[in-house]
Amino acid sequence: MDKQDRTKRKITSGMNAAKGDGTSGEGITRRTFIHRSLVTGAAIGAASQGLFPIISALDVAYGAQEFRFAWISDTHLYPKTLNTRFVEKAERAVSDVKAMKPAPDFLMFGGDLAQLGDPVELQLGADILKNVTIKKYFIPGEHDWYLDMGATWEKLFGRQPWTFDHKGVRFIGLDTVSHGPDYWSARKMTPQERMGHMATLDGSVAGPWAGVGADQLQWLGKTLANWPKDKPVIVFTHNPLYEYYPPWNFWVRDWRDVQEVLKPYAKVTNIHGHTHQVLYNEIGKMRSIGMLGASWNWPYPPEGVPALTTPMVRVDSGDHFDGVGWGKLTVTAAERVDYQYMMWRKDVFAQTQVDSGTGDNVNQILSPRIADRP
Amino acid sequence: MKKAWIHTVIVLCVSLGIGLFGADIVKAHKIKHTPEQLKAFEDVFMEQVRIGDLLFHGDAATEKKMGTKLSRTGMACAMCHPFAVDTHPYEFPKFQEQVNKFSTLRDMINWCIEKPNEGEKLDADSDAIKALEAYIIWSNRGSKLDPGRH
Repeated sequence: MDKQDRTKRKITSGMNAAKGDGTSGEGITRRTFIHRSLVTGAAIGAASQGLFPIISALDVAYGAQEFRFAWISDTHLYPKTLNTRFVEKAERAVSDVKAMKPAPDFLMFGGDLAQLGDPVELQLGADILKNVTIKKYFIPGEHDWYLDMGATWEKLFGRQPWTFDHKGVRFIGLDTVSHGPDYWSARKMTPQERMGHMATLDGSVAGPWAGVGADQLQWLGKTLANWPKDKPVIVFTHNPLYEYYPPWNFWVRDWRDVQEVLKPYAKVTNIHGHTHQVLYNEIGKMRSIGMLGASWNWPYPPEGVPALTTPMVRVDSGDHFDGVGWGKLTVTAAERVDYQYMMWRKDVFAQTQVDSGTGDNVNQILSPRIADRP
Repeated sequence: MKKAWIHTVIVLCVSLGIGLFGADIVKAHKIKHTPEQLKAFEDVFMEQVRIGDLLFHGDAATEKKMGTKLSRTGMACAMCHPFAVDTHPYEFPKFQEQVNKFSTLRDMINWCIEKPNEGEKLDADSDAIKALEAYIIWSNRGSKLDPGRH
């Protein structure tokens, strides 16, 4: 068992112990949580972990420049004629980002702009996002890619991977979606059939498609080679850069190789989409923050939820603005990434087991589907 | 006295006859199922699971065949419930908050079709709802029964 496996197992066992008393693992009650938030104006995500961005002597000592950026992902737009709900939510996220004062330094779009990769859907997304006039960066999701293998995406939003430096942080955008194994040629699938299988989260046909790939790993190593080991690195990906729940591609299959490249760097933060839920983990020295989807909420899988995640509340499926939203991220003067889930509801985090999006599934045993197997 | 004796004999004979006849019926039911029979039962069930799986995942051809309209938003059941997670079939019947009444799994399926999916609800005894129920329960087999739990 390697070190990362041991870390994961430790985290998992910690999860079971922490939830035994029916409260959040960190022992923050609803009352203290609200109080602290009001007092400090703390980032909600950070607060849940007990990490309050108080301006401390440490921050002053660093004297670095604090800045913010915004995240939107997983809008999953259909053509307007079919579904206006997702359009409304994408527009609301854009409107919220525009209302940020002071304006964020840039907007990161984290993939799955479209639902079925249709150029109409991608163009609709581009039109909605045009309303954000600050600098924008893009990485693709699998839903953007597998109808025309990224042709429309690259025409509208450019190519990945990319990197830029901003206020002492090296930012990296990776493509974790285009390296899927070819499941379509031998079966003579149409592009629509290929996309349909890719768009089914719990399908078995597309297999373990999420990956960084040897070419990007090499590029990543070269890109970081001249970067000081103690300076912050933020890596944007659509899928999480660790093994969370492979059957739904809540991972990249070569995550161990990615960790090897990132291991020398002390302040790495991975910010990802795809999971559509409140999610936090640490693997080695890398922090990983899962962001909300703007379209709908994925449930937590039956196993693998990191112990360091404070689960979100169960979502009211009768309210389509529940459980979804966008994100504010702050790089503090201490070079730490704080995150705030901008969920369009009053309560974000579960305070009791019975209201938890995952903690209440004590009797649940699940099986994979069968109808798409040969 | 003689009449009563005859009556007793008749009752005994009838009882014995019923007993023997009944014993035959019981014996008939004790004949073991053949592997072919068991396979046939399993096939019937798994075919319903398969149809339910396809409906649950928004398969257009199956919807057409079954004459259903489970969604008008492009959303399928599996988009909120991959692997039928969080469907909790083992908790029904129970008071279901969204439905605001004591509900069965079929009531809940219909609520999801009508509200989040904006589709057309199914007859409570329709083939489609039986198939959806079969898939959901099959996916959750092995879960602990806990009726009434919210």
